[in-house]
Amino acid sequence: MSTIIEAIDLKKTYMLGKIPVEALRGVNLKVDTGDFISILGPSGSGKSTMLNLLGALDKPTSGTLLIDGVDISKLGDNQLSELRLKIGFVFQFFNLIPRLTAKANVELAMSIANMNRTEHNKRTLELLETVGLKDRINHKPAELSGGQQQRVAIARALANNPKFLLLDEPTGNVDSKTAKEVMTLIHTLNKENGVSIIMVTHDQKLANEARRTVQMFDGEIQSDTVN
Amino acid sequence: MKTPDIFGYSFSAIKLRKLRAGLTMLGVIIGIAAIVALLSITQGLQASITDQLNQGLSANSLIIMPGGDTSGQEGLSINVGSGADSSGFNLYLSDTAEIENLSPDIDSALAIIQRSGYVASGNINRRVTIYGVDFATYAQVYSTFSAVTGTIPTNPQENTIILGSRIADPGRNGTQIITIGDNMNVLWLNATTRPPMNETYAAQVSGVLGTVGGFGIGGPSDTGVYIPLSTAESFFGTDTCDMIIVTLTNSDKATVDSVTNLIQEHFAGQVAVISPDALQSVLESIFSTIQLFLGGIAAISLLVAGVGIMNIMIVSLIERTREIGILKALGMKNRTVLAIFLGESVIIGLMGALIGIIGGWVLANVTATVLASGIFGGGNFALTPVLTPTVFLGALGFGVGVSVIFALYPAWRASKLKPVDALRYA
Ligand SMILES: Nc1ncnc2c1ncn2[C@@H]1O[C@H](COP(=O)(O)OP(=O)(O)O)[C@@H](O)[C@H]1O
Ligand SMILES: [Mg+2]
Repeated sequence: MSTIIEAIDLKKTYMLGKIPVEALRGVNLKVDTGDFISILGPSGSGKSTMLNLLGALDKPTSGTLLIDGVDISKLGDNQLSELRLKIGFVFQFFNLIPRLTAKANVELAMSIANMNRTEHNKRTLELLETVGLKDRINHKPAELSGGQQQRVAIARALANNPKFLLLDEPTGNVDSKTAKEVMTLIHTLNKENGVSIIMVTHDQKLANEARRTVQMFDGEIQSDTVN
Repeated sequence: MKTPDIFGYSFSAIKLRKLRAGLTMLGVIIGIAAIVALLSITQGLQASITDQLNQGLSANSLIIMPGGDTSGQEGLSINVGSGADSSGFNLYLSDTAEIENLSPDIDSALAIIQRSGYVASGNINRRVTIYGVDFATYAQVYSTFSAVTGTIPTNPQENTIILGSRIADPGRNGTQIITIGDNMNVLWLNATTRPPMNETYAAQVSGVLGTVGGFGIGGPSDTGVYIPLSTAESFFGTDTCDMIIVTLTNSDKATVDSVTNLIQEHFAGQVAVISPDALQSVLESIFSTIQLFLGGIAAISLLVAGVGIMNIMIVSLIERTREIGILKALGMKNRTVLAIFLGESVIIGLMGALIGIIGGWVLANVTATVLASGIFGGGNFALTPVLTPTVFLGALGFGVGVSVIFALYPAWRASKLKPVDALRYA
């Protein structure tokens, strides 16, 4: 198994005016291909900050972060954008472009990656079928339930065959029944399609469903256990 | 991201806010319509004046007027009715004979006496310009000096008078209120006597000219009346004239220039010699100034539209902060975000400019029709608006250019948004 993410003494400090806020205070983490990691922790413990760094949406204040072997501190805006094409991201809510249909939202990811146009259609339908929304392709986000929107977001995150999938509280905004559906989908993707997954949650039960649980507190990793 | 995809995405954003896009576009539409309407009307006007000038004065003619102007081009001073300029220089009727001897290139020289006066007949009494001319020569120089009713005799009686079309038909509706053979009193106020006194004589109408139109220098006018030169000479008690029209054997530039020089030498630079060519260039420079001025005013309205575009784009940028964050999380490059926002401005500018050009063209034609109908007076103003490819492409480019330039800053700001910051915004 190869390593896709390696974080060494990762620190992130935000400036709130003149007051520094230490969101990450030296985090070490190694993720192998095909793994399923859940990051658990109270609100404000630095989970999202961590995920944003892993998704190359931001750069660390100090420390080293290798994504697919590349040190992201050394990358410029353009190279970071290119790196993000290899990463699938799902946020807690408002993932989708409201004016575009489910299909168009998925296709958008493909056209950003300059994927051959002739493949768009077929692949989009396959992805929406995988997430169980084959009959909702022409619906706009407002015409979909919260769970359905999250599933479209997952389909879109998978559009460019990412190296790994980052999910920031994907079930934080939906009811427990829908949460279960989404979790089932995530498990399937991990087990059957071999997609590497890092998922942030503050639900202990959901966290335990992962292969490995990382517990965060106050910007540090408290424990890292295999379930 | 491929260009069609970028434009498709931009278009989907515009489509979502149709009213807003429409109002933004309206600024461009109005600005471009104003530019196109003003320019196509002035260009049409220039074409029609040039056309009338060419009809009114043949290329092989020169006009001599008092007024020391060595260039004969700029600063034309036209001293109607005085026969003298401020320096006291006069053109004399006898000068025509001397001019004819100046060069073999000169075919003939024609003196014109011109005074303000009145004609009265029955219940008609109106102000006119009275021209004293040699009928035969005048008709040779100006093709428009020909009668639609009656005749213009080559050897007129002393009391023969020819009327401009609007004198005989003031309503311009085809009803002539004067018939051939009618007598009418010609009258002018002689201010050389103390006290000034009205001089008058009875003239007999021999012919009425066809409609000439509004312009032309020295040529027949719709509001003029024409009497024989000798009659004018004794009636106005003068041996000076206001204008001498010289006809050349050819219209070569070399001939025009050399004769112009000979005449200037002869009068020691105290006359203005106007050639149709020179008039043309004066007209052109006047019109380019007018166009620059009007176009400039219209362009300012387009700049206002540009500020509107910028305003809307900044609002839209703020509203779409999270969208930009999502696009960046999906791997979109900064320059593609820039292109998407600029794409929106290109679409707005392009559509606005096209609608504006059509609107401006319609406006110009409506204006021309209204002017031609004579509702605002000013004669029958035959004017065909002209939309040159330069104006068309210029308006298109200007509309798109202004939109894009004013969208640059908001688009740049959108492209520079940090993904994490954009995503925190909900
Ligand atoms: N852009 C930012 N500017 C300032 N402080 C921030 C910013 N983002 C996060 N923080 C702070 O960093 C800490 C960790 O935040 P976050 O990673 O969002 O926590 P979590 O996702 O675990 O709730 C919090 O105290 C939060 O207020
Ligand atoms: Mg969070």
